[in-house]
Amino acid sequence: MTKPTVQTPVVIIGAGLAGLTSAVYLRRQGIPVQVFEASPHLAGLARSFESGDGFTYDFGAHFITNRLAAAVGFSAQCINVPRYGESFWLKGRPCRYPFGFAQRPKFVASAIAAKLNVIAKKPATAADWFRGKYGRALADEVAIPITEAWCGAAADSLSTAVGEKIPVSILKTFFLRLSGKLSRKTVAIGYCTTLPESAHVWHVYPRGGIGALCQHMADEVRDCIQTESPVEAILTDGKRATGVRVKGQEIPATAVISTAPVHILAKLTQGTDLLQPLSKFRYRPMVFVNLRMEGRGLLSDVIVWTPGKEFPFFRLTETPLSMPWLAPEGKTLITADLGCQVGDDIWKMPDDELGRLCLLHAKKLIPDAESRYDGCRVLRTPLAYPVYLNEYEPERKAFEKSTGIERLYSVGRNGEFAHILMEDVFWRTRRKMRQLVKEIQ
Amino acid sequence: MSIVALFPPKVTDDTLPLRLVPSRCCVCGTDDGEPVGVGEDFEYWTSPDTFLAVQCPDCKLVYLNPRPAVEELARIYPAEYHAYDFSAKDFGLVYKIRRRLEARRVLAYASGLQAGARILDIGCGDGFHLKLLKDFGDQSWQLEGVELDERAASAARKAGLTVHQGDVEELDLPADSYDLILLIMTIEHVADPAAILSAARNLLKPGGRIVIVTDDAASPSFKMFSGRHWGGYHFPRHWNLFDRKNLGQLARNCGLEPVRIKSMMSPVNWVYSYHNYLADRRWPRWLQNRFTLNSTLSLTCFTLVDQFLTLFGCGSLLCGTLQKPLKEERP
Repeated sequence: MTKPTVQTPVVIIGAGLAGLTSAVYLRRQGIPVQVFEASPHLAGLARSFESGDGFTYDFGAHFITNRLAAAVGFSAQCINVPRYGESFWLKGRPCRYPFGFAQRPKFVASAIAAKLNVIAKKPATAADWFRGKYGRALADEVAIPITEAWCGAAADSLSTAVGEKIPVSILKTFFLRLSGKLSRKTVAIGYCTTLPESAHVWHVYPRGGIGALCQHMADEVRDCIQTESPVEAILTDGKRATGVRVKGQEIPATAVISTAPVHILAKLTQGTDLLQPLSKFRYRPMVFVNLRMEGRGLLSDVIVWTPGKEFPFFRLTETPLSMPWLAPEGKTLITADLGCQVGDDIWKMPDDELGRLCLLHAKKLIPDAESRYDGCRVLRTPLAYPVYLNEYEPERKAFEKSTGIERLYSVGRNGEFAHILMEDVFWRTRRKMRQLVKEIQ
Repeated sequence: MSIVALFPPKVTDDTLPLRLVPSRCCVCGTDDGEPVGVGEDFEYWTSPDTFLAVQCPDCKLVYLNPRPAVEELARIYPAEYHAYDFSAKDFGLVYKIRRRLEARRVLAYASGLQAGARILDIGCGDGFHLKLLKDFGDQSWQLEGVELDERAASAARKAGLTVHQGDVEELDLPADSYDLILLIMTIEHVADPAAILSAARNLLKPGGRIVIVTDDAASPSFKMFSGRHWGGYHFPRHWNLFDRKNLGQLARNCGLEPVRIKSMMSPVNWVYSYHNYLADRRWPRWLQNRFTLNSTLSLTCFTLVDQFLTLFGCGSLLCGTLQKPLKEERP
């Protein structure tokens, strides 16, 4: 068995899912850890907010899988998610993903044409990638408008990595859907890229909100988590991370694991300018407007994408269709995702006004939305999604492999600058920690 | 058909979760396993938990992580657990056939032993194999068993066998004394296989042998059902599942020389893989019961299937013969 060989702790910045996964893994290998969390709360982006009126709010629609729940020993506290599905709102009616597209001749024809085009060049931008993969019609009417609204940048300035994160095998999707129908489970499709997809991996949700999962993990390492302790600097000797500064005090570290957004990581790191390229990396700020409504099942699917330019949001989500327990009986919650810039009109708009703006447009999908409306709650985050601009694609690819500084690891959704969900965060963080353990033992 | 068969009792959704503890690869000592299967206790529904089988990226050992804490053993091995069901009538014809087949096998394990040889069966259960040696083997052999479970141990004693009840690592058995130690369908159940093998090694005379029989986690049934329903997972009771290579590695880690590790026929994992599929989908109980140790038809069919596969070295079980070196050299 592994014996502890280091006494100086590994310092972990952030007590979200990635930070806690690192802490638990390293502690189990006999390596001392110290977690610094800037806020007074644990769980980071995987936190839940209860409003007291029976509604629970997560940062976006979160769920995990039975596989992740089993891995952290939390399965008995989870409930199977009864349904999940996505639609696209096209020309005034919903089109179910993926088979609804197959009923539209224009999309089918252009997709076949794209498949037959064997002399196509290697795509250089996200726009080319979508056109090559889905055909011109589907790309221009659906994929590109959504990507642009989501990322806040033109699709021909984005790298092909945007598309590569999306599952494309229709056959596999069909097989998984069918398996889910037979087993009456919400099989996870396109949810996790680190591990193979399987008919036996489906969505579950922890009782008491997604935050309960992190609370459970934190129980094992609670004595080494310090909240309200923002890390002010990561110290390096030019090549290797040596410690951190917290509340003016320098703390030596065997290694430093950051879950901070990468442009902040660049700012924190002292004694080297190796991380300077990261300061260019951009995250898309987002405003989530949660509309409380009377009734249930107002949308045709859990997620309805709205590629039309006339919509201020690019997506509506009715989470209680998947997680009925997030809203009181007979009520529902519809979340509108609005991309924006920090400080722009949308970002600064008062909550009531945002609610009314979303309601006005949601009426196209839910005609009686106004009479069902019962107020809203707005969550704003400056870093909802990484934006893969071609401008810094070479630096991003290099960063994917390593930070370039010994014993400095950057993990998690923000830390990896990757559009990954909870299960990916968990398994990828474990793999990186395995690498770290080999390095320090 | 009874009403109960059509409407099987509700699974124990409301029982408390088990206390689970993290585990490691018992061959490499690492904690790097990645998921291969996720499932539930499809046979006894002893808890509401979902369990994860992971595979070590280095040695390919399949192990449960996390796994139930040792204090939960009484719960995951309920009173109706099949190994504790000792009445021959329940198993009828199958019992008789199995007895014949197993008699041939245990005599093969014991082949070449001299008169007066000492044989120890670790995890002897109700003494099934010891009884066979007693009935069909050399009458001068000294037979002993070790069994953790009190119910099983006393059943074996009733059959006139010598059984030490407890953990082999803690029992004060004489060192360097046994000619043959059997570990039949035992090693996959224990928390620390290396500790059991090392303890067994200490009990062996130099040159003595251990015969170990366990599920093969590289067999065709594993490959077909590894995602969820594989009978060999026996969620959550099989904690370590070996293949030929890592079983040899474990033996060497414990100072034992693998003489040979060969494939062995068993229909059980096939039968239970189908049982688990049906149980998971909540098919009627009478249909599920067509795929258990009580079902002659499915056992016969899969015996043929697995016998055929065994010809090509890919039967459901592994049978390893490990030898303690004549000259003492600690690993």
